[in-house]
Amino acid sequence: MRRSRRLHGVATCVVLVSCVVACHGPQNVLDPAGSPNRIVNRLFWSMLVVSATVWIGVVGAALWGALTRRRTTREDLEPVVDLPNDDKQRQTRLVGALIAGTALILLLFLVFDFTVGRALAEHPNRALTIEIIGHQWWWEIQYVDADPSKIVVDANELHIPAGEPVQVTLSSRDVIHSFWVPNIIGKRDLIPGYTSSIFLDADRPGTYRAQCAEFCGVEHAKMALTVIVHSRADFTTWLAAQRAPATEPNDSSTKEGQRIFLAGPCSSCHSITGTAAYGTIGPDLTHLASRKTIGAGALANTRGNLAGWVVDPQSLKPGVRMPSNQLAPKDLLALLDYLESLK
Amino acid sequence: MTTPLSTAQQSLGDVAELPSVTFGHRSLMWWGTLGFMVIEGWTLALITAMYFYVRQNFETWPPLRTPRPSLTAPTVNLAVMIVSVLPVYLASRAARRLDLRGVRLWLLVSSLISLPIPILRWYELWALNVRWDSNAYGTAAWTIVGTHASLLLLDVADTIGLTLFFWFKRLPIKVMSDVTDNSFYWYFMVLIWIPLYFVVYVSPYVL
Amino acid sequence: MTSAGRRLLHNDSPTPGTLPGSAPELLSEETVLEQARLLDITWRDGGGLWGWLTTVDHKLIARRYVVTAFLMFIAGGIEAAMMRLQLARPENTFLGPDRYNQIFTVHGTTMMFLFAVPIMTAMGLYLVPLMVGARSIAFPRLNAFGYYAYLVGVVFLYVSLFINMGPDAGWTAYVPLSGPQYSPGHRLDVWAQVVTFTEIAALCAAVNIIVTVFKLRAPGISLNRIPLFVWSQLVVSFMIVFAMPAVATASTLQLAADRALSTQWFNPAEGGDALLWQHIFWFFGHPEVYIIFLPGLGFISPIIETFCRRRVFGYLAIVLANITTGFFAFGLWVHHMFATPIPELGQSLFTAASLVIAIPTGVQIFCWLVTLLSGRPRLTTAMIFILGFFITFVNGGLTGVMVASVAFDKQVHDTFFVVAHFHYVLLGGAVMPLFAAFYYWFPKATGRLLDESLGKWHAWLFILGVNVAFFPMHILGLNGMPRRVYTYLASTGWGPLNALSTIGAVVVVISVALFVVNAAMSARVGRPAGANPWDSYGLEWATTSPPPNYNFVNTPIVLGRHPLWDTGSPLPVITGLRADRREVLVTTAFDAEPDYRHRQPNASIWPLFLALCMAEFWIGSIFTPWAVVGGFGLTLLGMLGWGWQSSRQIEVERVDTDLQIIDTV
Repeated sequence: MRRSRRLHGVATCVVLVSCVVACHGPQNVLDPAGSPNRIVNRLFWSMLVVSATVWIGVVGAALWGALTRRRTTREDLEPVVDLPNDDKQRQTRLVGALIAGTALILLLFLVFDFTVGRALAEHPNRALTIEIIGHQWWWEIQYVDADPSKIVVDANELHIPAGEPVQVTLSSRDVIHSFWVPNIIGKRDLIPGYTSSIFLDADRPGTYRAQCAEFCGVEHAKMALTVIVHSRADFTTWLAAQRAPATEPNDSSTKEGQRIFLAGPCSSCHSITGTAAYGTIGPDLTHLASRKTIGAGALANTRGNLAGWVVDPQSLKPGVRMPSNQLAPKDLLALLDYLESLK
Repeated sequence: MTTPLSTAQQSLGDVAELPSVTFGHRSLMWWGTLGFMVIEGWTLALITAMYFYVRQNFETWPPLRTPRPSLTAPTVNLAVMIVSVLPVYLASRAARRLDLRGVRLWLLVSSLISLPIPILRWYELWALNVRWDSNAYGTAAWTIVGTHASLLLLDVADTIGLTLFFWFKRLPIKVMSDVTDNSFYWYFMVLIWIPLYFVVYVSPYVL
Repeated sequence: MTSAGRRLLHNDSPTPGTLPGSAPELLSEETVLEQARLLDITWRDGGGLWGWLTTVDHKLIARRYVVTAFLMFIAGGIEAAMMRLQLARPENTFLGPDRYNQIFTVHGTTMMFLFAVPIMTAMGLYLVPLMVGARSIAFPRLNAFGYYAYLVGVVFLYVSLFINMGPDAGWTAYVPLSGPQYSPGHRLDVWAQVVTFTEIAALCAAVNIIVTVFKLRAPGISLNRIPLFVWSQLVVSFMIVFAMPAVATASTLQLAADRALSTQWFNPAEGGDALLWQHIFWFFGHPEVYIIFLPGLGFISPIIETFCRRRVFGYLAIVLANITTGFFAFGLWVHHMFATPIPELGQSLFTAASLVIAIPTGVQIFCWLVTLLSGRPRLTTAMIFILGFFITFVNGGLTGVMVASVAFDKQVHDTFFVVAHFHYVLLGGAVMPLFAAFYYWFPKATGRLLDESLGKWHAWLFILGVNVAFFPMHILGLNGMPRRVYTYLASTGWGPLNALSTIGAVVVVISVALFVVNAAMSARVGRPAGANPWDSYGLEWATTSPPPNYNFVNTPIVLGRHPLWDTGSPLPVITGLRADRREVLVTTAFDAEPDYRHRQPNASIWPLFLALCMAEFWIGSIFTPWAVVGGFGLTLLGMLGWGWQSSRQIEVERVDTDLQIIDTV
């Protein structure tokens, strides 16, 4: 009794610890925040239970056979024994039953997988279409609208409303990338020459982290995407704010910063709506200051990090397409002021 | 050297009277040749599958502004290849009969008739009327013809080498078996070309 | 052969009889020794370096193959350890991204192309001729050529890595990342050519093994008596014949051509297709996995039989399982592409096929399980590794069944879950049985036993290390960690499990080091093994350890599936192969009845020469098109020399013209 209670305690601890380690987090398959992943979780846990049982059975039998029934005399060689026919028949029946069992389990898995596949394949009515374009090594995100002036272009941060399926179309500008929001939905590759589309169906607000899942070159590891699920109202507010053009510089420092931005190399790669900068090689910076991270999730969006990023991105994300920029300290401060004003 | 097992043995038979040279599927080399035929044939089949795979990416075949292949050089060459099978077969038959004069004669004829084939093949490549780097259609067609051509070139070299050996050198009888294997491989080269000819040169008129 | 002979060979009761036309004859010990002396002179290589470079002895070539491939295992292991050190903690700076990407690409390329496939075929090249009772392999010079081609690939890859020209697009080299636009320079050219070299080597080995099994089996080894390891090698060789041309086509005719000649296979702007690469790569890549672990499974039967003192249960079932696995392996490739935009119906079919292939593997496991349970096993190091196989491989197989599901696979595809899955399959299904095979056959190849107590440390530490290193990766994958990342942020929470995984990797390194020490010591001072240290049954144990250069003094006659257990030693033999030249006995493909005596070539430099010509051709072509012209000329020269050598000696031959057998000069 006492022993079983202790065992119970140990088991609880193990479960708790492993859940802390394993089952929660903003980038975790086992912490579902969307209906596709909820269904997949059900499938996973049932397959896991069956598989673990099979593993214990097979490995247990092998270990029992080998460890407890082993010969203890070391050097003597037993003669080879042929089993009597009765034993052979028993073996045949046993193996036959095991194979039948295997086939049955596989059939169950197949049926389960098909039903899950059908549940996931349902195409809900959609309100919103978002286009995601993969670049080495950042995400371009466009909130599509029939009215071209209302199209919002953003980078490395995906905002969606909770409780509404969102259609996401995926394509790539250069090599293959893969879109994957572990808490919400499985992967879909972004392949040059192909456009594909999935439904993103988040059911609880929160901030999740996604990361490119297909090796895409030197900075594959630092190509992250922040996924922010809002309530519907918050989402509408956010979208309206993003539709506004960039904040006009309103003091001497930000004005100087804007001049440096437009005169220097920045504007040949980046664009800021409402200014003469419309480079398309790097991310759109119209609302840079509203983003949580810079460098596609490489760094938090703080003034210090931004300064480091502008001056020497190669040391923070080696191989990134952005070149280093030699700026006088005064100019750098002005540029930072300007960038930080782009709310 | 390791010490052999020093033990008496019970012999149940003797193979000293068995032949040491055989022809066709009994000989080891025939099996080796067959193995490489399967590998090469399979490679060509895969490339053909890819030809049809890239076909799906185009609305018309050949693609817009690409002329269809010319048929003269390829058809002439196909005819030469089919005709060449006859002397190759006769050489093989002579080899099986250990008829040295027959082998020399028919190998010479085979070599002469196979010489123009690689040369015609050069014109066949240009008869595709598209460059290999123009588009995926050109790439696929060039790869099929080019791969077959390089195998063909090696086999023609092999036939000519054998002919030279037979005319200028006294050879062990075992080489007779190599003549039949060379013929075996030549049949394969010709036979596999027939569907490839239709794929590369005729199908753009049909698809 | 007459019906009397047929009765003798195919009668299941092992009563000695005689072949027609000859009386049973007792060969005295002196006769046998004299025959051995003559054979040794005939089959001996030249001395010195020249002899070393020109040998065509399948055992010497296979031994070099095994040693080279094992060095590649160590190289790949060092790369793995470097990756584990880099990932041990978040935002580590041990390796930068560029170096890390080269290291993981070279790790995968090494392990798949330069270690796993070569070492499995090399074990076959060593053991298959011995197991079927042949004097030699079918095409000895082709065998040597294949090894040198492989060696060129090995040297080329590692020289490139050391001059910072190591490939860096993953061992799968997906286009367009690996194409001319996104991988300028020569790094990916190196990858494409290394693959070409190893495919050529694998194809040479496969043809050699197929013909050896079909045509060089000792009299009496009908299809239903072929040893199970030989069956697995035969099936795998057929798989190589159909899988390797796919990757050779992809790497040479497509990727290298796109890069060097501007062909348009993969350029969507000109009608090419990036997905085409994945189709053809995985059409090779999935069978590749079975090419690696079917020989691994082939090691298991003889080891279990020997140490449990039981004949394996379900010989026929295991053979059929091998064959069906070989077939189905070609129908699964799309399950590597579930995240790509391909039609859902197609995906479901591949799910079903991926589940079905678990059945033949299950059949084999259950057969071994009941064999194991019916005996009282002796726990040698080899048997411990077999237990490691059960523990590890079954886990990998079950996660394999899980990822067959499209929906689940989309969550774990390209994550550490999949990394864990395939390392469980390959380390459990191939490497652990391979170590078991090393302990089991090392005495045959060297004449000395490996040390068992050191071996047991090696075995248990290896099993422990592998599981500690790879089990946490399942959880990491579910926790969202993608594969092929050189670093991760601390905020992801992946640090502790990665650290644990690195500790496991250290344990693996220690255990492999123990094995290296064991092998180096035992090869010199290990306990002498004798011909048959484990009292096993196969023909390879019917000759000395190590086997003489001619393998068998006289060709053994086989009267059952377990020759030495069925008839006892010494086996009855068939005489009459000449001792004054290299002759092998060729038998019929199905019934293995004696058919003719085939003359084999002596030692030759042409295989090495031809391999070097090909190296000039392929490697040179990366840098200048003129290399192709020179290489083609040299290759023709090499072929001419090769043919010239075959056609030199003229002597009396008995020719079967199909009409009559005549003697000719």
